[in-house]
Amino acid sequence: MSTTVTGRTHEPAPVQEEPERPPSVPAWRRKARPYVLSIPAVLIIAGILYPFFLGAYYGVLNYSAINPEPIFVGLENFARVLTDSQFWGSVRVTLVFAVVATGAEMVLGVGVALLLNRASRVGRIFERVLILPLMVAPVIAGVIWGLMYNPQFGVLNYVFGLGSTFNWLSTDLALWSVILVDIWIFTPFVAILVLAGIRSLPRDPFEASEVDGASWFYTFRRLTLPMIWPYILVAVIFRFMDCLKIFDHIYVLTAGGPGAATRTLQIGAYEDSIINLNYSLGSTYMFLLWILVFITARYLVSVLGKAQRRAAGAEG
Amino acid sequence: MTVRSSSFQPQNGGRRLGRRDLLKYLGVAGGGAALASLLPACGVGGGTTSDEGSAADEVSGGFDWKKAEGESIKILQTPHPYQQSFQPLLKDFTELTGIEVETELVPEADYFTKLNTELAGGSGEHDVFMIGAYFIWTYGPPGWLEDLDPWLENSSATSDEYDFEDIYEGLRMATRWDFQQGSPLGTGGQWAIPWGFETNVVAYNKAEFDRRGIKPAETFDDFIQLAIDLTDRSESRYGVAFRGSRSWATIHPGFMTQYSREGAVDYEVDGDELVAAMNSEKAVDFTRKWVELAREAGPTSWTTYEYPDATRDLGNGTAMMVFDADSATYPQNRPGESQEAGNLAWHPGPAGPDGSYATNLWTWSLAMNSASQKKLAAWLFIQWATGKEAMSDAVRESAFADPTRASVFDGAFKETLGDFPGYLETFEKVIDSTEIQFTPQTKFFETTENWAVALQDIYSGEDARSRLDALAESNTDEVNA
Repeated sequence: MSTTVTGRTHEPAPVQEEPERPPSVPAWRRKARPYVLSIPAVLIIAGILYPFFLGAYYGVLNYSAINPEPIFVGLENFARVLTDSQFWGSVRVTLVFAVVATGAEMVLGVGVALLLNRASRVGRIFERVLILPLMVAPVIAGVIWGLMYNPQFGVLNYVFGLGSTFNWLSTDLALWSVILVDIWIFTPFVAILVLAGIRSLPRDPFEASEVDGASWFYTFRRLTLPMIWPYILVAVIFRFMDCLKIFDHIYVLTAGGPGAATRTLQIGAYEDSIINLNYSLGSTYMFLLWILVFITARYLVSVLGKAQRRAAGAEG
Repeated sequence: MTVRSSSFQPQNGGRRLGRRDLLKYLGVAGGGAALASLLPACGVGGGTTSDEGSAADEVSGGFDWKKAEGESIKILQTPHPYQQSFQPLLKDFTELTGIEVETELVPEADYFTKLNTELAGGSGEHDVFMIGAYFIWTYGPPGWLEDLDPWLENSSATSDEYDFEDIYEGLRMATRWDFQQGSPLGTGGQWAIPWGFETNVVAYNKAEFDRRGIKPAETFDDFIQLAIDLTDRSESRYGVAFRGSRSWATIHPGFMTQYSREGAVDYEVDGDELVAAMNSEKAVDFTRKWVELAREAGPTSWTTYEYPDATRDLGNGTAMMVFDADSATYPQNRPGESQEAGNLAWHPGPAGPDGSYATNLWTWSLAMNSASQKKLAAWLFIQWATGKEAMSDAVRESAFADPTRASVFDGAFKETLGDFPGYLETFEKVIDSTEIQFTPQTKFFETTENWAVALQDIYSGEDARSRLDALAESNTDEVNA
């Protein structure tokens, strides 16, 4: 249909030039494109899954340095590890470490975040200084704290007047001392993550509660905490997973000792694989640790999902 | 607030697996898989055991240092006084042979981890590496080490002047084994050539001893009492430093030396089996005393102590004695090296009840990677580094303590030793009884670390008898498995 402006309807309308179409892409290339685009992801996943399945495969062999031509032994390694009291000792140490360190880091991290949220010059300075422990590699932190814990010349015994006989790394105290180091390193991580969460909260509910005369504690309990709960849970997931596979600063400080007082699952796996060169046993340790991490991760992710829905008002 | 965000809603009634759920589960699985990807860091492949003839058989004609001219080799070492003494001499080797040497250094704490991983992976990246004698018991059976016997025996590959017999017998035997559990050292292949070594004796603060008018103890009971008397915690001073960390390395220096002098053994051979003897009467009695010594007169954080901690405490005047490697305490007496430099002296340590000075040794040796593609060049390097001339140069020009050749020890080392009271006398007293006091077996690291853990448990209050019974039972099972 044409609109006649000139009234000259007998003249044919000028032929409009069709826009130049790009040369058609061959069908095979169109079909191949998604696969080509997926290659980097597939390579990354293969890079993760190949060693994973290889490790799991080692778990059913009797592969070690002195036995370089292993045979299939079924679940023998699993039976050996699961009936070994040392393994269950390591599970206990790992769980105590993870629960206590994560719990303490959450409480302290949220407290520090709330303090830093108060706009002040000191707060801004502390905000920057707090990042420092995060800049220190855990291995280096282990070395530093090892010197500080030294009874002969360590600063802690000197400052607290404990003399040269108080041993921070004795059987009774070693686990708590390595937890303290973890708290020192990672509380700032939690604080910064939660602080970012607090600063992203809407102001209206807080202004309303202030107008209504709510106390600071009431506001915190009823408003702040529920609203920052998803951020706290994210921090819990990060820290708990990390704590379950803790190795570095503990190994530097105690190598898992005294006795087995700080022997975590990762240290057990390292001992078996790298020191004792029993690759199958080390793989079994790691596979069992993977199961523990997987179950915990799934649980925490589902809790996080619920918390996010609740924070958004979709539930409860 | 009733905002419904799709991101918070279960899709399709929450029954079907949604895209986000899938991503979530993949994320969880990916995280777990990433964790478990550490699993095969344990190593793959390895072993190059072969019944084929030695590459040494291919070398013929007269001996000539230039036989591998133009090649280059890579060596793996740890920064140790031995390595540091030889580093400036490498240019002499290149000049002599025309072979270029590339050195890779890895700190001792990570050295064997790297070496294990490399050898287990069947890599021939490094042609030559530093190794301790105990490592032969683990690295040898899978075929990771080249047998150097054929090289030594081939006059086309080895100079007439090399004189292998000049290396102390205990050291030559320490690096030779037939890989049969419990079989004594000294038979089988020559898996490494001793380069430097350590005897485990007592170093003490002579200035403090002189001030008090006391002398080192000659029996173990006197040694314990002396160490206790020298301990004054209020002054941050204690009697004797020795290793106590959770490592096999805790057992081999002072502990194994005195354990052997007291007449105890680690294993007894029963037919084809080894029976752990860490719970014999002598062993239990000695272990009780050793742990008591650590408690009463050792460093407060003994369970973390490695040799650098012990020698540092001797050097700064905190520890009055150290029972460890002589070559580890030796540098503390060099001018400017420590606060107590010039004040230290050496003593063989307590004799056993029968007068025994049985002493455990550690030898840093040079081994050849069986997967090396440049074996002749690698052998020429080992031959040069363990030869008389280079070793004498290292002793004269640097801090190469305890050379492994008798001629170099009696020559260059004695000439340059200087004022190290008791060092030579101690060495000469113990050298004839210095050998590896452990029973060779392939599970050495595992079972010896178990031993260190048991010491820590006893130190923490467990009963010595029951703990050592448990240790002996588990170690017997382990070595015969």
